[in-house]
Amino acid sequence: MRLRWSRLSPQLAMLPAVSITLIAFLGSIGWTILMSFTRSRRLPEYAVDWERPFRQYNRLFADAGWQISLTNLIVLALGSAMAIVFGFILAALIERERRGEDFFRTVFLYPLAVSLIVTGVAWRWIFNPQYGIQHVLQSMGWETAAFNWLNDPTTAMYAIIIASVWQSSGFYMALMLAGLKGINTEIWSAARLDGVGLFRVYFEIIIPMMKFTFLTCAILLSLGVIKAFDIILAMTNGGPGQSTWVPAYFTINAMANKGNLGYASAAATMMLAITLVVFLPLVLLTVWQQRAAKKGAI
Amino acid sequence: MSDAGVMFPRKPRRIRGRSIAVIVFLAMAAMFFCVPLYVLIVTSFKDMDQIREGAIFSLPIRWTWEAWRFAWFDACSGLSCEGLQQGFWNSVVILVPSLIASIAVSMITGYALAIWDIKWAGPFLFLLFLTAFVPFQIIMYPLIRLTVMMGIYGSTTAIAFVHTVLAMPVLTLIFRNFYKDIPSDIIKAAIMDSGSFWRIFVEIILPLSGNILIVVLILQITSIWNDYLVGVTFGGLGTKPMTVHLANMVTVSTGTVSYNVNMAAALLTAIPPLVIYFVLGKFFVQGIAAGAIKG
Amino acid sequence: MPRVSFEHIVKRYGAVTVLDGLNLDVEDGDFLVLLGPSGCGKSTLLNLIAGLQDVSSGRIMIGDRDVTELDPKDRGLSMVFQSYALYPTKSVEGNLRFGLAARKLPKEEADKRIQWAADLLQLQPLMRRKPSELSGGQRQRVAIGRALVKHADVLLFDEPLSNLDAKLRSEMRLEIKKLHDTLNPTIIYVTHDQIEAMTMATKIAIMQDGEIQQFGTPDDVYENPANLFVASFIGSPAMNLSPARLELKAGNATATFGDGTQLSLVGATFDHAVQAGRDIMVGMRPEHFIMDATGTADGHSMLQLPVIMVERTGSDALISLDFVGEHLFVRAEPDRAARTKTGETVSVHYPTAKLNLFDAQTGLRL
Repeated sequence: MRLRWSRLSPQLAMLPAVSITLIAFLGSIGWTILMSFTRSRRLPEYAVDWERPFRQYNRLFADAGWQISLTNLIVLALGSAMAIVFGFILAALIERERRGEDFFRTVFLYPLAVSLIVTGVAWRWIFNPQYGIQHVLQSMGWETAAFNWLNDPTTAMYAIIIASVWQSSGFYMALMLAGLKGINTEIWSAARLDGVGLFRVYFEIIIPMMKFTFLTCAILLSLGVIKAFDIILAMTNGGPGQSTWVPAYFTINAMANKGNLGYASAAATMMLAITLVVFLPLVLLTVWQQRAAKKGAI
Repeated sequence: MSDAGVMFPRKPRRIRGRSIAVIVFLAMAAMFFCVPLYVLIVTSFKDMDQIREGAIFSLPIRWTWEAWRFAWFDACSGLSCEGLQQGFWNSVVILVPSLIASIAVSMITGYALAIWDIKWAGPFLFLLFLTAFVPFQIIMYPLIRLTVMMGIYGSTTAIAFVHTVLAMPVLTLIFRNFYKDIPSDIIKAAIMDSGSFWRIFVEIILPLSGNILIVVLILQITSIWNDYLVGVTFGGLGTKPMTVHLANMVTVSTGTVSYNVNMAAALLTAIPPLVIYFVLGKFFVQGIAAGAIKG
Repeated sequence: MPRVSFEHIVKRYGAVTVLDGLNLDVEDGDFLVLLGPSGCGKSTLLNLIAGLQDVSSGRIMIGDRDVTELDPKDRGLSMVFQSYALYPTKSVEGNLRFGLAARKLPKEEADKRIQWAADLLQLQPLMRRKPSELSGGQRQRVAIGRALVKHADVLLFDEPLSNLDAKLRSEMRLEIKKLHDTLNPTIIYVTHDQIEAMTMATKIAIMQDGEIQQFGTPDDVYENPANLFVASFIGSPAMNLSPARLELKAGNATATFGDGTQLSLVGATFDHAVQAGRDIMVGMRPEHFIMDATGTADGHSMLQLPVIMVERTGSDALISLDFVGEHLFVRAEPDRAARTKTGETVSVHYPTAKLNLFDAQTGLRL
């Protein structure tokens, strides 16, 4: 039963949300896309540069920093995907064992409650070459131990990945745990009576049953990766050099430090494009799968 | 039939080898998760002399609150050297209006969309769903100009405004999904008794919202408190939140780095959300699940 | 097919004892139904034999093997679950095959068995579908097929029909019954539905509070309930039970009811010698009453009672009579019921041989 759309109050009540959507989201997106085709520098110019409308984009793709950003985006996505795997393993073990469920869940999830700036401080301290884990291992006799990852362009990204896996594994564990608990316990009993090995049950029955959960995790992971900014800032501030730049960092850097509005807008527009390219198929797949599942369930 | 006493007694099953392996693995994983928090805590209580010895995992020889006191009252963040306390109070001042505004707007919108018959509710929900995916960077500069035009740029109000904008799509979907599951008979009865939008909201919907409200409240407190980007972009000189102060403190240190002060500052920033997490963990997990439905 | 025996089974959950020294023997080829209200321990018993739960003490034998400590997969049994527990991501064929593959059965043998089960249960057109694309009855048949292909010695059923509608339920009852007649496996079947028990079982074990109240053939538990619980649990509409006092009138056993009404017990069977003056419960099945019988034939007791209400249930009718201030239900032909009016007095006969008499204190059959 839904009420009639006949009075003023509901319309008034919707006003803030509608204006936020139209102005702050749609309007802003349109404005930024428009800017990306102009020659705006520190201040906006509204005239589209018809002679070379894609000049910002051409510059962008020629920019080594942007290329590094895109590469790092992929590296970060693949590396962070470990958090999903790790989260599933943790959830499966917790669900099997039951003992200490609350304790382990609390421990695995607490990093999510902490600011990424704090996370960065902690992990930078662990990776500190002078006083951190490298020093501890060396003084224990492992002379060649090298954990000065943050100051090495080839390894800095891995340090960031470790920190972000540490930060987000608990989140995926919580989602996976909810998914696992939704599975009919008689399925487990049936598999036990069938004498099916544990690994086969997981790989052939349980994981396929949880494909929505995995898809949801994949979507949230990609979202998190493309929005990743705080963790980069807190761990390396983009350095050494430009080695840990990602699109989110690149865009803000172009705006705040270089003061180049048109250029930053082009980068932001590309971020939106990446989002669309990556997420739309995933989201549509999920929606479609859910529809199919609902239809099948009768 | 119980006269037989215990025949064929069975030893209670011992904990099996597999169980032990699982618990050992989980315990090791738990230790890995605790390492960063552990080094933060022990380092913050050490003095610099001990820190220079380089044993990051060792306990403080002499426990001292000095680093904590310094981080709170005296540490320099940028040019001001008044410690983190200013950032802390800024964060509190940001938190309150941000919470009220973001939750009020999303709650009422979710209610209107779930209960009242709005013709374009479907397309609007889909639009909200899409905006939940939009990267902040693409709307950042236009929002700066918008707040400048509104004359609030650099103030706490601007930060609260932006938090409201950013939280609105997801929170609205959460509230709408929650209200949609209210039994329709209750709503029917409410319409028979009073057809008023606001009276149904205040007298029927609000009292039913207790659980979801706590969940959303915790979700928002942690995300607003932990925010850095909105605070640094929209805050003014005296209104930047605690995370920004912390970041400045640890990155722009001049001279010798006081690691113990940095760690104490990081802990001070982390304590409020951690307290909420450890006390209300159940709702925190629910919030994660609710926030994830949007996917 | 082997026999199954439970010997001195005790099951505790912490301080709560669910089963306390239970003994039960299921003969080779029996269709045993464990029947009882929810919480009576019947599902626990099934989980114990399946090996999904461990006994606290006691022994479970299948044939000559002590299976108490064996893993579920090594006990040589298969199970049909209440929710069917089909593997949702596998096709019907995949569901049938999954358990066989785990036993490392040669492919030809597996194919043969799947073919056999598919033919037996008419699954052939469904083999490529997923469980979500099947109706409730089809899922049920797949679940049974999955249990059959393993050629297990003992088949377990855990309330398998409770998720089906009434019509499908009676169809599946027949199908399972037919299956038992053709294949003759030992079946242990848990249900709270007495119709399922009465129609399919060769033996019924009626359970309450973790104890077996009566163990016997369906006819036996119906006609000679061992105690008041069984008497009131079995039968729909339920048996009429009225309190009375046992007395001797001119050398004949008589039941005297609260208002002085007397019922001759001449011809009633007593398992035990009883003394006069005992408080008893007199049980009369609604369908054993004879309406409008004239005179007082030997071996019949006659009652003349006012009609409170007439209920038609379609093929049957129930007339409720006022007997010592309580309802006494009498089954009647529909056209006879149609002629009956509320308030009129009717005379009914009850064959004393079919009286069920119980001790009011112990609840046991006299």
